[in-house]
Amino acid sequence: MNQTKNSRVETLVLETVKQLAIDFELKGLEVPRRESLLYGDGGALDSMALVNLLADLEAGVEDAFGVSITLADERALSAARSPFRSVESLVEAISERLEG
Amino acid sequence: MKTLIITGTRKGLGRSLAEYYLKAGWQVAGCSRSPSDLSHASYRHFELDVADEKAVVEMVAAVDQQMGPIYGLVNNAGVASMNHALLTPLSTLKRIFDTNVSGSFLFAREVAKRMSRRRSGGRIINFSTVAHPLDLEGESAYAASKAAVESFTRILARELASMQITVNAVGPTPIDTDLIRGVPAAKMEALLTRQAIQRKGQIEDVINVLEFFLREESSFITGQTIYLGGVH
Repeated sequence: MNQTKNSRVETLVLETVKQLAIDFELKGLEVPRRESLLYGDGGALDSMALVNLLADLEAGVEDAFGVSITLADERALSAARSPFRSVESLVEAISERLEG
Repeated sequence: MKTLIITGTRKGLGRSLAEYYLKAGWQVAGCSRSPSDLSHASYRHFELDVADEKAVVEMVAAVDQQMGPIYGLVNNAGVASMNHALLTPLSTLKRIFDTNVSGSFLFAREVAKRMSRRRSGGRIINFSTVAHPLDLEGESAYAASKAAVESFTRILARELASMQITVNAVGPTPIDTDLIRGVPAAKMEALLTRQAIQRKGQIEDVINVLEFFLREESSFITGQTIYLGGVH
């Protein structure tokens, strides 16, 4: 994936997390960064917030790139390291799926 | 103008439901495996198999983007097969579960994602059957698939409650549609005698329950299955 596309994915994830933090009043994610932890140990999201974030991201990816992806797929659920752990791992997971 | 997705709209109950809601001023998106001749300015038809994950994801995305926020989903598409369990091939069981369970699951999941993203809430209505509570002989595969749909309905109701999405099911008695064509008259008679009100259902009976579930005022009704005809 080229650099421009990758940075567009990162911007999308950061903006989506920021909006979610406002909607769900999530402390510590008002100004998310690439290394911000999301889900799991030290993460700010509970399972419902994660569900909302993934739904928001899937729709956001479709709006931005015109491609339908599923983030909570078999690959994600069987991965040794959860792709939902941080902003960075989510950016990686989305980029992988965009590459097909 | 509210938007409703109704699955299985080419014929039978689904077709009647689509026509009813179009007449009532809704925008309706329907689907079936083959083309539909239903033509209306507020209707859009999608040709797909409800158990095809990719096709369902694309349809729900298209409806959300092109027809506005989705207010409700009516998971009407269903197939039945009446046969003794010992005479039922595995392929039949799989076909029934694909359409009735996987189809309902996929549409509910994708529609709920859209409703969640828009923070708009909404209504999801699944279809069960009286064959499940009546434990009808000869309908083990069909009734088991609908038992799965009912369990899914109750759990999804809990999982989506915080998103202001209600999830309920209607359990019709036999209605004169293709679904029950081929059921012997004596068997039908025996089934009807087990209902408190012993007649076949009408499409209007189903619409009445859908109207109740779809109303804005029904925001406190979720995880319920309403059977017609006095079956429980």
